[in-house]
Amino acid sequence: MDFVTMNILESSMVSLCKEMGIVLMKTSYSTIFNEALDFTCGLADMNGDMIAVADYCPAQIGGMPLLVKSCLKEIPIDEIEEGDVILHNDPYRGGLHTPEHTFFKPIFVDGEIMGFAVAIGHIAEVGGMAPGGFCGEATEIFQEGLRIPPVKIKKRGKDNIEVWKLLLANVRTPRANYGDLRALIAAVDLGEKQMTQIYQKYGKEKIKETVNDLLLYSERRMRAELEAIPDGIYAFSDKIESDGIDADRTYTVAVEVHKRGGEIIVDYHGSSPQASGPINATLGVATSAAYNAVLHMTDPTIPRNSGCFRPIRVMAPPGTIVNVDFPAPEVGGNTETHPRIVGTILGAMAQAIPNRVMAAEGATHCNFVFGGVDADTGEYFACYDLEAVGWGGRAFADGNDGVDSINGNCRITPVEVYETRFPWRIESLAFNIDAGGAGEYRGGVGYSKQMLCLNDEIICSQMTDRHLLAPWGLNGGTEGGLGATLVMKSGRRDWQTMREAYGKASTSRYSNVSIRRGDRVRLVTPGGGGYGEPAKRDPAAVAEDVREGYVSKAAAQKHYGYQEA
Amino acid sequence: MKFSLNGLYIESYTKCANCGVLIYEASAEDSARRKTHDGSTYCSEECVDWKIDRDARRARAAA
Amino acid sequence: MPDRKIIGIDIGGTFTDFVSYDAATGTIENWKNLTTPSEPIEGVLQGLGQVEDVASVDKIRLGTTIATNALLTRRGAKVAYITTTGFRDVPFIQRGDRRSHYDITWIKTKPLIKRADTYEIGGRFSAKGELVTALDEAAVRELAATIKADGTIEAIAVCTLFSYIDPGHEQRIRDILAEELPGMPISISYDVLPKWKEYDRASTTIADAYLKPIVSDNFHRMQKRLDGIGIGDRIGVIKSNGGESTLKGAAEAPVQMTLSGPTGAVVATRVLSELTGIKNLVTFDMGGTSTDCSTVVDGMEHVTTSFEIEWGLPIQIPMIDIHTIGAGGGSIAWIDKGGMLRMGPQSAGAAPGPACYGRGGENATVTDANVVLGRINPDYFLGGKMKLDAEAAHRAVKTIADQLGLEVDAAAFAMVQIANNNMLGALRAVLLQRGLDPRDFSLVASGGAGPVHICDLMDISGIPQGIVPNYPGQFSAFGFIMTDARVDRHRTVQQISKYFDGARATAAMTELVDGAVAELVSQGYQQKVEIYRSIEARYFGQNHELELSFPANQFTEETIASLWERFHDEHQNRFGFSIPGETIETVNLKVVAVAVSEKPQMRELEKGEGTPASSGSRKVRFEDGWHEVKTYDRGTFKQGQILAGPAIVEESASVTVLQPKQTLRVDRFGNLIISA
Repeated sequence: MDFVTMNILESSMVSLCKEMGIVLMKTSYSTIFNEALDFTCGLADMNGDMIAVADYCPAQIGGMPLLVKSCLKEIPIDEIEEGDVILHNDPYRGGLHTPEHTFFKPIFVDGEIMGFAVAIGHIAEVGGMAPGGFCGEATEIFQEGLRIPPVKIKKRGKDNIEVWKLLLANVRTPRANYGDLRALIAAVDLGEKQMTQIYQKYGKEKIKETVNDLLLYSERRMRAELEAIPDGIYAFSDKIESDGIDADRTYTVAVEVHKRGGEIIVDYHGSSPQASGPINATLGVATSAAYNAVLHMTDPTIPRNSGCFRPIRVMAPPGTIVNVDFPAPEVGGNTETHPRIVGTILGAMAQAIPNRVMAAEGATHCNFVFGGVDADTGEYFACYDLEAVGWGGRAFADGNDGVDSINGNCRITPVEVYETRFPWRIESLAFNIDAGGAGEYRGGVGYSKQMLCLNDEIICSQMTDRHLLAPWGLNGGTEGGLGATLVMKSGRRDWQTMREAYGKASTSRYSNVSIRRGDRVRLVTPGGGGYGEPAKRDPAAVAEDVREGYVSKAAAQKHYGYQEA
Repeated sequence: MKFSLNGLYIESYTKCANCGVLIYEASAEDSARRKTHDGSTYCSEECVDWKIDRDARRARAAA
Repeated sequence: MPDRKIIGIDIGGTFTDFVSYDAATGTIENWKNLTTPSEPIEGVLQGLGQVEDVASVDKIRLGTTIATNALLTRRGAKVAYITTTGFRDVPFIQRGDRRSHYDITWIKTKPLIKRADTYEIGGRFSAKGELVTALDEAAVRELAATIKADGTIEAIAVCTLFSYIDPGHEQRIRDILAEELPGMPISISYDVLPKWKEYDRASTTIADAYLKPIVSDNFHRMQKRLDGIGIGDRIGVIKSNGGESTLKGAAEAPVQMTLSGPTGAVVATRVLSELTGIKNLVTFDMGGTSTDCSTVVDGMEHVTTSFEIEWGLPIQIPMIDIHTIGAGGGSIAWIDKGGMLRMGPQSAGAAPGPACYGRGGENATVTDANVVLGRINPDYFLGGKMKLDAEAAHRAVKTIADQLGLEVDAAAFAMVQIANNNMLGALRAVLLQRGLDPRDFSLVASGGAGPVHICDLMDISGIPQGIVPNYPGQFSAFGFIMTDARVDRHRTVQQISKYFDGARATAAMTELVDGAVAELVSQGYQQKVEIYRSIEARYFGQNHELELSFPANQFTEETIASLWERFHDEHQNRFGFSIPGETIETVNLKVVAVAVSEKPQMRELEKGEGTPASSGSRKVRFEDGWHEVKTYDRGTFKQGQILAGPAIVEESASVTVLQPKQTLRVDRFGNLIISA
């Protein structure tokens, strides 16, 4: 193996992917793109294998190989021409969920197709029954939004106008969507242009050979990491509350992780049959979640590509909550069920490698989505409000407070930007005291955001979790704090759940609630589970918790036997 | 996964009963590998074997 | 009257560099001594001791690491943070993302304050600048009493929501606290950084308060010692924007000192641009542990507002954009679990240093590889002041070579290639990620190790021209003798093109200009002030801005129309598309005010022709094998002389390695201009 060229090529390709992302970030319209960075950019070879990727959103990094390959299985390679850009979001053929749009552009060198530049991004508003994409009460894909099979949004370098017209006619924010689509195309254009130059500089054969070596190198390193984990079969399960339709039913994510030599197989048999409401995960999600969990347990410097994923196999039985069948809904599967799956795999591996896993994190992005007509400007607005949670304690440290869940790595929108864009006033943004699970290492806390509605009407939906079933602790640690969504209607003095106030089946998944001027909404995010026996917590750490206000004196006394000096 | 005759929409989805992967009707590679076992479709012999192993393991554990 | 004797002093981690210029003789001298980290002024005084009649020096300009060190080692003040009711946790919640996707060991960055020291005050403005709740002045007075009673608070940072639109509450809070707590250092966000996004603004303001006591203390001591040698009234310190400030001015806004030292090399590069007429330069300053990269575009340095002290802890005041990576002469070679050769980021530092330093270092480093390849002459390191152990270098590289199954020289070559590739990453970061094309640039090498690698980097980056300036090893200190006094002022004044209020924009821009000029005047700068205005704008709905210069001083129908047109063009250029007719949003107004100082005149070299006489030859290994290569002494060069590669040019603090097929020309001022 020519390690020197391989090293140089790998860093050039990753650098290129980062540059694609910067274009995307700087030109996109949805804050979920440009503030939260919910997108990813990568390169694939002609078989659809991922050969390089930049570290933007973890969910899509793991999802990319299946996404591109699924499209290539349908489109004969000789029907792809130079200057085409292919768009796809279909959850049932390799997709993650309806809002996730995949764009890829072929890279031609001397008339031969060598690979693809890929960009995947979460577009905030996709049509469907609720503005902002997360309709918590959808029962079929047709209600979630526009489903796009692999189509050419650009053909031979020209916009395919008929496709654009269809796309923009079916969303509430065509101006913003146009901007986002242009941004995604600009990203793959840049990727294709620069990768073509790399092929021309080194020569097609040299690149092909070096890329194969690179994938082999990553595979080898991953196998070495996996070898170091004790062989065995490790089982764990977690429960998800309700699906937005059926108020009282819970759903199980079950995993059996088989560690065999240099391989790891994640078997999801035993997981519940799919739900009526949109908490279902697709095969893309089940696969991406397994990759994510394994990447957390292994050396993060291994170059990420299809090679490092080869030793990881996934068994996701069809028609279950981890491999939903058409036409059942799945919009919440990629944001909510996804991190639960990752957490479950980590929970299973606690038996094998307790120092390299952690107690449950909040595992929700809060996903409060809303839309309406701005009373001042008359313009329609839609927003996907994403929030952070507490993370689980680990064998050597407390869980982090207020960080985005494991399948994402998104930034929250600043208050000043939020209020400039949308007719809300945020009255507070504050940590939830006592919301971290107790343990030798405590769980991180989530926070609460309280908002006052300043518009005549804002239509709100949500797809969140952990209102009823708390994040689990590990090795004796206790559960993290629950999340909540509360509303104080104008003129009232009490906080009510969505069930109480609007008759919704679930407090955490619902669609199209009408919030009026003067109403208040409070979003509470869950805390992380604790790790280890609380009795073992360092008294100095407990004193600091109390001094800094993360733990109340009463709770400190109860869990840790805290005594004031 | 099976397209309609005119190729414009999907008529049916077939997934491997064990690993859940989509099996494409039009793919020669998929057709060559697929297996039927006990009335269910599987993408490959490996998945049939895995299912049989799993059932046996769970039966032993229950006993 | 122009300064006739200037000294630039760069207080670095290991060495303090001095560069002096005497207008009477036109000579530039340079020297260095070890930094005295416990009290840096000692090292400075030591070095100044070498100056004959130091009291006759007109100006001393210092780069200092006091602010950077205080932030990195967390040795600043105990700060009380005051904010709007309901928002005390903003500095702790931060942005919600994590440093890396898959690192289970990551611990979230802690802010510079304790949660127990945060306080909330009633008072609120809306996003439109309307008053929602009046300021609770009584609560402010009660808070002052609490702080007084506590007795441990050393500085106060104030940041309230939307203060960049209406600073009234912040200013009133400051005034009340100043009354109740005389002498307490207070920083308000409107003064420090009047831009939106409350976490970034709060973080920057807290850093400012955090630094106030230590910086003002340090500067006070420095002032006294320099008074002692008769030059206390002629000191300038270099700010992170590459401009000079008085000690007093810097102490009032210490967060401006965060990136003081490294900016010198960038300012020197800008001067180089003026001297050579080359508009676009990209610099890399390669030291023992790290390499700093930066750009000068169209003759101007690039200023960023995205600096972070550590990941997640932003300081968003305008700073010269320097991208640092952990790659340098001391970077250590190692083999990873997959068998791949890697270089750094671990460095052998100054102690034990590379194996060839003979100080007990056993790891093979870039410097060792350079010795094995014949690029560095072990008998002439640091102008002969230090002898390197070539055998130790060979032994160290051999341990790597054996693991790779390569010959020693092939292994050394691979080590240098990988190290170069790491530095290429930094060059890409400053060029391609900003849409700049390497082919439009010239590469400037500085730092002790820079000239050794410049030709390799030209080759792999596609940059067609390289420059090795005079005194490459002290380029930063040289830059300091070339700085102007400079003030940067930014403010968020958000408007959209559909409803653009030209009068409001003009008023806000004028206020920024007046404020910047006033600051320069109050610090005693009497020279003519040059003003540069610019605006950050984007399509309405996007979340990141493009910067456009605004050459007028009024927002009239014409200047506004031209602005929108230029925005569409710039967007097309930068991103490959534009959206004609789309609404544009202006976000930040920016002003740079420069009190231009008279610069030292660079002396021209004696004219010469042909090729300089060589000083000898030695074997050097290039990609295609070993060559017998002529060596040259830079000190003998004359203007206009030309060299063809392969060649080695030696000087006291560095060596330039010219590859086969490259040529070198000596310009008027002695800069070495290299072409592919």
